[in-house]
Amino acid sequence: MPDIQEDDDLVFHKICSLLEPLNEKGVKLTRDTDLITDLEIDSVSVLDIVMDIEDNYDLSIPVNTISETRTIGELVDAIHAIKKEQA
Amino acid sequence: MSLFDKFEKTAALYYQLSDAGQNPFNVVMEEVLGPTRALIKGRETVLAGTHNYLGQTFEPRAIAAGQEALAREGTGTTGSRFANGTFAGHKKLEAEIADYLGLSHCVVFSTGYVANLGAIAGLVDPSEDVLLIDADCHACIYDGCQLSGAQTIRFRHNDPESLDKRLGRLDPSVKGKLVFIEGMYSMYGDIAPVAEFVEVAHKHGAYLAVDEAHSFGIYGENGRGVSEAEGVMDKIDFYTGTFSKSLASIGGFVASNHKEVEYLRFSSRPYKFTASPSPATIASAAAALENIREHPQLREKLWSNARRLHAAFTQLGLNIPAPPAPVISVLFPTKEEAFAAWNYLLHQGVYVNMAIPPGTPGKESLLRLAVSSAHTAADIDQIVAAYTAMAQTFESARVSASAN
Repeated sequence: MPDIQEDDDLVFHKICSLLEPLNEKGVKLTRDTDLITDLEIDSVSVLDIVMDIEDNYDLSIPVNTISETRTIGELVDAIHAIKKEQA
Repeated sequence: MSLFDKFEKTAALYYQLSDAGQNPFNVVMEEVLGPTRALIKGRETVLAGTHNYLGQTFEPRAIAAGQEALAREGTGTTGSRFANGTFAGHKKLEAEIADYLGLSHCVVFSTGYVANLGAIAGLVDPSEDVLLIDADCHACIYDGCQLSGAQTIRFRHNDPESLDKRLGRLDPSVKGKLVFIEGMYSMYGDIAPVAEFVEVAHKHGAYLAVDEAHSFGIYGENGRGVSEAEGVMDKIDFYTGTFSKSLASIGGFVASNHKEVEYLRFSSRPYKFTASPSPATIASAAAALENIREHPQLREKLWSNARRLHAAFTQLGLNIPAPPAPVISVLFPTKEEAFAAWNYLLHQGVYVNMAIPPGTPGKESLLRLAVSSAHTAADIDQIVAAYTAMAQTFESARVSASAN
C-alpha cells in the first residue's frame, strides 16, 4: 500500500481507504490527487465510492456536488460541509 | 486544438477496436432481410441485439398504417407538439396508450429518451424539489436530472431500504420528491421490486416514476409492464415508455393517473422545443399497439424463446447475472475478452450488443442478447450453436472460470 499523506482528518483517511482498491497505478494519495486524471477512475466509479461514503457517515451527497469536485481534498471538504448542514 | 484533446483516450480505444476486428459501435446493417435477419459485412446474420422484442418491425398492418399516414398526412409534422406538430394521430395514440395501461392521461414525446428528459425536467423545480434515482438508471434519466438542475441523490440498485434511508435524511423544507426507477434494467435483464418501492416512496410522501421502456408489452398479465406484474399499476405515479422497442417505431410517452401530467405540455422544454414524431411513425406505433393487444401469443412466444435460450446458456455454464428475461447477458472478466467473444459470435453469424464500463453495472463487460418473438426455431438453433462454440473458445465466459 502506498504512503498516505499524513493527515489527521478521518474523512480523508476513509476516502483513501475506499479509493485504494481502485488505485491501480499506486499513485500517492493526497488532498490534491485528481480522481479522474491522476487515478483514472471513471465517473460512475466515483459515484459508487460516494455511495459507500454516504452509508458510512449516514448522509446524502447529491450527484450535483460530486460533479463539481475533482480532487480528494474537494470531496473531503464537501462531506464536511454536508455533515455540518445535516447535523 | 484543445477542443479535441479530451477525446484522445476514448478515440484511441475506439480505433483500437476497429483495428482488432469489427467495431461493435460501428456496425452497419447493409440490408435488412426481415425482423431477425440482416446483411452485416456481406454476411446474413441473425439479429439478437436489437430491441424488436415482439417482432413488430415487419408487421403488415403496422407497415400499411404507416404507408397510409405517409400518403395522407405527409412526410413530417415540421413542428413541435407545443406548436404546429400535434395531429389527430398523436392525440389518438395518447388515448390508446392510456387505455391500454389503464391510466387516465398520456403525453407523447419524440423519443423515449426525450420522454424521460421531458418528464424529469418538466416536473421538477430545482429550487424546491429533489430527485432520487436508482444507481443503475439509464443515461436519459441521469441527463434529465442534469437538465432539471435539481439536487439528485442516487440509491443502491434495486434496494428499497437504501432509498428509505435517503428519503429519511432529506430536509423537511424539501417540497417535491420524485423517485425514478426502471421496470426491467436493460444491462442484466433484472427487474425492480416495484411494489416495495411504491411503499417506501409513498411512506415519505414521494412520487414514484417507473421507466418501462424494456418491459412495456412484455411483463404482466396484459403486458403492461413490471408494474402490472407487481400488482401496482394503480399505485405508481408516473409510467414512462418508448415506441422503439416492443412497438418497433420511434417516439416515447409519459402516462399517469395524476391529471397534472398534462402540465408537461407547457412546462417541459423537451416537449415544446423539438419536432413531434412523423405521421407514419405515429400510425405504425398505433397499429403495432393494436396488434400486440390482440395477440398475447406474441408475448408468450417471446417468453418461450427467452426461457429456451436462458436454459441453453445455463447448461453451457455461461456467467448469466439474472433469471430468464427478454434480455440475457453473459458477463466477461475483461473488455478485451468480451470484445473478442463479440467478434467471434459475429463471425458465427449472430449479432448481439457489447457493453463495457462505465455503461455497465459494477466493472463488468458483457454481451447482451435481446430475444424476439420473431426469432424462428432456426434462428434460436443458430444462436445456441454460436454460443456453444463461443463457450468452448472463451473459458472466461463460464461461471466456473470466472469464479477462479
